[in-house]
Amino acid sequence: MKILNFTFILCLLAAFSFGQAAPKKKYKPKRTDQYIHMKGLRFGIDVSRPFQDLWTKGNRYGNEFSADMELWPNLFPVFETGYEVMKINTHNINYSSNGSYSRVGFDYNILSAEHDDDKDVFFIGLRYGFAFAGQKVNRYTIDSYWGQENGSFPNQTYFAHWTEFLFGIKGEIFNNLYMGWTIRGKMKLNNIDLGVPPMYFIPGYGKSEKGFNLDFTYSVYYNIPWDFRKSAGKKKPVVIKAVVKKPVTKKPEVKSDMKAPAK
Amino acid sequence: MKRFLYLICMLIVATSCKEVFVAPPQALLQATFYNSATNIAYSPVISVLGVGRDTLLYAQDTIPRAYLPLTKRDTTHYIIWLDSKADSITFIHETRQKYASIETGFYYEYTLLSVRFTHNRIDSIKIIDSLVTIKWNENIKLYIHPLPVSGI
Repeated sequence: MKILNFTFILCLLAAFSFGQAAPKKKYKPKRTDQYIHMKGLRFGIDVSRPFQDLWTKGNRYGNEFSADMELWPNLFPVFETGYEVMKINTHNINYSSNGSYSRVGFDYNILSAEHDDDKDVFFIGLRYGFAFAGQKVNRYTIDSYWGQENGSFPNQTYFAHWTEFLFGIKGEIFNNLYMGWTIRGKMKLNNIDLGVPPMYFIPGYGKSEKGFNLDFTYSVYYNIPWDFRKSAGKKKPVVIKAVVKKPVTKKPEVKSDMKAPAK
Repeated sequence: MKRFLYLICMLIVATSCKEVFVAPPQALLQATFYNSATNIAYSPVISVLGVGRDTLLYAQDTIPRAYLPLTKRDTTHYIIWLDSKADSITFIHETRQKYASIETGFYYEYTLLSVRFTHNRIDSIKIIDSLVTIKWNENIKLYIHPLPVSGI
């Protein structure tokens, strides 16, 4: 009997619920303004650089750091710097190259934010990169019927520069902590003739024998939420010191010629 | 999450392949054998030993042409047995070091200047192409006296 009662009540509730109008969704208005969403500077470290030898021939590793900020709405000037090492050690050759590199450029966010606190970006960007590096053939071996011949080449130093076209995402996973990947197309700008051996590896660019290189980076960022605009715009309240004079209390003068009123 | 695992699997497969580094190429001098009487190519039984080496480069091989590696120095000496008769050949050449790639290494190329030889079986040697490169082609024609008993 109890089961029947419950079933009846449930059916009744269901009938009432169908009769009710659906609650109106609260639509948040799309962002039409051009506000700067990310306050302060964002620093990053590329976590993919130490593991590059997983997809590169030879033993390539390094570290890269970056800094960017939303200086104008959706436009992020970026500075990236790092160093890289490339080593190849086989029976035929022992080669090593290392050097530091930097990139300057900007990212442009093409994702429209729906909320004021929406800081995820999908960006396209442009970079100019340059590197100072050195390379050395510590040993080479030529095998033939006449035996094994070994030799080496001294250290060669060089400068190289290139441009990068890139796109990627940066998503805020926790408060002020971001992660994101970038795919970079790199085009070399100069060719230096070092003789034998020629320039093989450019830190930050890759193999120099290729005029175009494709690269992938994955970074973790932290945004220091220092709103420099606000702090720069803030003015200290002007303190006006008012000179407050004490009220002078004068005793009423009693004139001698005044007579007391007759009682 | 599924895509992420798929990406990880792809990365593992891609990186599990062993890196292969190819050995540098070798420039070899190609010598082709001809009958000096008929000027027709033929295949003698040859053995070749580099002077100063312990092992034979060719040991009793019946071949129409031999590929001879040259040394880093400017002269290369060989003792060659043609149908069991020994001759010595000296190649005088210029040597250039060439770069294949950093992944591969280095090799030598040569310019053949002259050839000196003994005349036990060898009648004459004609330089066809003095450049000994990694693209092997006929560099010298080696004319051999025909055997006295068995017509070649």
